Amino acid sequence: MEMMLHGFMEAFQFNTITLIILGVLAGIIIGSLPGLTATMGVALFLPISLGMDAIGGIVLLIAVYFGSIYGGSIAAILLNTPGTPASAATALDGYPMTKAGEAGKALAIAAIASGAGGLISTLMLTLISPQLSTVALRFSAPESFALALFGLSIISSISGKSVLKGLAVGVFGLIIATVGMDPMTSYPRFTFDQPTLLTGINFIPVMIGLFAVAEALIQIENHLKVKEKTKSITTNYIFPKLRELKVIWMSVIRSSFIGTFIGSVPGAGADIAAFVAYNEAKRFSTKEERDTFGKGNPKGIASAEAGNNGVTGGAMVPLLTLGIPGDAVAAVLLGALMIHGMRPGPMLFADNAEMVYTLFAGMFIAAVLVTIFGLLGVKLFTKVLYVPKHILLPTILILSIVGAYSINNNFFDVYVMLIAGVIGYFMKKYGFPASPLVLALILGPMAESEMRRALVMSEGSYAIFFTRPISATLIALAVISMIAPIIFRYIQYRKENKAS
Amino acid sequence: MKKGLKTVLAGALSSAVLLSACGEENNGNEVNGSNGNNGKTNEAANSNGNEEVAFPEDRIEIIVPYAAGGGTDAVARSFAEVAEEHLGENVSVLNREGGGGAVGMQEGANAEPDGHTVTMVTVELLTLPHSGLAQFTYEDFTPVALLNEDAAAITVPADSEWETIDDFIETAENESGIQIGNSGTGAIWHLAAAALEQEIGADFNHVPFDGAAPAITALLGGHIDAVTVSAGEVGAQVEAGDLRILAVMAEDRLDAFPDVPTLEESGVDLSIGTWRGLAVPNGTPDGVVSVLEDAFGEAAQEDSFIETLDNLDLGYRFEGSEGFEDLIQSQDELFEELIPSLDLNN
Repeated sequence: MEMMLHGFMEAFQFNTITLIILGVLAGIIIGSLPGLTATMGVALFLPISLGMDAIGGIVLLIAVYFGSIYGGSIAAILLNTPGTPASAATALDGYPMTKAGEAGKALAIAAIASGAGGLISTLMLTLISPQLSTVALRFSAPESFALALFGLSIISSISGKSVLKGLAVGVFGLIIATVGMDPMTSYPRFTFDQPTLLTGINFIPVMIGLFAVAEALIQIENHLKVKEKTKSITTNYIFPKLRELKVIWMSVIRSSFIGTFIGSVPGAGADIAAFVAYNEAKRFSTKEERDTFGKGNPKGIASAEAGNNGVTGGAMVPLLTLGIPGDAVAAVLLGALMIHGMRPGPMLFADNAEMVYTLFAGMFIAAVLVTIFGLLGVKLFTKVLYVPKHILLPTILILSIVGAYSINNNFFDVYVMLIAGVIGYFMKKYGFPASPLVLALILGPMAESEMRRALVMSEGSYAIFFTRPISATLIALAVISMIAPIIFRYIQYRKENKAS
Repeated sequence: MKKGLKTVLAGALSSAVLLSACGEENNGNEVNGSNGNNGKTNEAANSNGNEEVAFPEDRIEIIVPYAAGGGTDAVARSFAEVAEEHLGENVSVLNREGGGGAVGMQEGANAEPDGHTVTMVTVELLTLPHSGLAQFTYEDFTPVALLNEDAAAITVPADSEWETIDDFIETAENESGIQIGNSGTGAIWHLAAAALEQEIGADFNHVPFDGAAPAITALLGGHIDAVTVSAGEVGAQVEAGDLRILAVMAEDRLDAFPDVPTLEESGVDLSIGTWRGLAVPNGTPDGVVSVLEDAFGEAAQEDSFIETLDNLDLGYRFEGSEGFEDLIQSQDELFEELIPSLDLNN
């Protein structure tokens, strides 16, 4: 406790707090631009942070991390263009709210849920990271495969109107995910001697194409057809009423726990957490409410944002307690800590306790700042909706190209993005949802490599998936969440038939 | 996030193979580079001297074939900073990741051979071509400076039944299926384990992970029996008493772990590991190479650079153009034999 107070005192030093503020602001901007992910944001600031003292440098990176995870939701809500993969789930309900003229409220909810997710997960990191890391260590290949399978089962609940179309898109995504080196043998598959295809088709350009470019193409088409003047979307900045916050608080807390836990599992990050949290929020809702998911339910935004921000604290658990990065951002942070002469791992708390608690304090402050800046920014962010279409749409397309290029500084990704945009355009026209494809691209490689790794460990026996308790439970959950919506639908169908 | 993690880890941790033994005989530590390359051009380089070569004329760009934020990136960035002072020009770092390093190294090989584009090459320069995963060979480059070398280490959980490397070898000789985690099939730590397997006639169950960190996690959780990643990568866990290094696959004991024996001490003649260094495209004028070699040689001795490597738990080893070339050549012979014998693509 005393250490924590000391940590806050350090973090409130003028230099440090200034860095946190700048970091969060920079992070929000980076996150809101499509293609610039949290990982890239943190990597971008790494060289700058190296010139600072250890505490300032690390706290700056953490602030960028928090800001960018939240920032992704802004473009997702306003333009149906997730700024980072972590906000793909946010677009599901965020964009429908914008279309319904509730952009201000959607942004406010995202800001509040993001801050709460960051706070709760930092609290858990501070209090129970040793316990969390023990659980995370029990996750090996079979458990990670089961988690990926569970994630894939969410496709049935984010498919919108037609589960069949959602599943078809999901399978298409899984097929694309097989491009690249075989995860076990490194044998090149479907690479056509292109070195850029060796590591597979990056899902970020695909996501930019499917969401941003496809949306822009559709809007351009409408614009040309209708010759409409800029349609003014009413976006009164309405702070969510207490009553509305009461509805979402349970989702926020549940999602924060889910995010923290998934963040602490090595190899699973904010994108997966957001989808799982979204799915659970839907599962725990009443039947009538369940149908409003995907059509602008505030709970959808709240759960996705609390889930992906919950990962921030979770990802620090294996990093600080074991010295092992849980996701790509943590890998960059590991490098930063080490360059500053600190060795994350079991000895860190003993050797650098002051540093660790200042880091925690910085995380708390960053989470609060995310909410504050998010709420203050609502008016500013929604201005984007008043930008005339003939300026906004080309800007989105240019940003998409820049974003896709910047991932690997590679033009190949730009082509992937453009092709995905055209495919996404037709998918939209014919009612195929885009999210299952993104989810399949994220989880496909994970499911494949973990399953085959587990089979190498068990020397070919499938029993390994069912004899280990965590793995067996997750697989059972996956089967239930895959089948349940279909059964519900069938029962409803029977009822309606009887009634008529 | 998954893909991102993969590439970051690939940069930070994965690698390919190396017999560090080679090239020690040569006076590779000499930094006054003009006795580089082949005999014919030696004189030209000497007589030209450094002053007469109009180089560098512009900023120098270092291509890093791995993601920003990884270990290779960190080495490059910290080196770029010290190299600027010695070259008198800006040195910038360009990350070109993809293909496990193949994309960036291919681009480096194709760059204008005027010395302004330098590539951070790693042991994958040798392993990728032999695995059929790259079109370039090491002969497309002229090596300039070796900066880092890390040997493989056999590491087990602290509560493992194997107290010493001899216990391990004894079990390995009698039982099949010891689960050895590595950083990916065909990556350096897999090749290290496979070379050990051949050397002692064992039959391991190789479990590939996406980089060294997940393999170490699985080892900590008790899901596998051992890993063959570098000693530095398990340093934090060894220090905390969670893991134990049985032996390092190096010629000499490591400074950081003086109590850990080498494999050679147990009669197994094997040293293998990863390295990083700087190279320019083949065809770069000798005068330019020697200017770079001189500047890089001075930069590599800067305390701040050596400290960065130390903080990252990376081993420091400097060689000039000639020493680096010898290392690459003898290593290439090793991989040429080892990789096809593993039949990786099945």
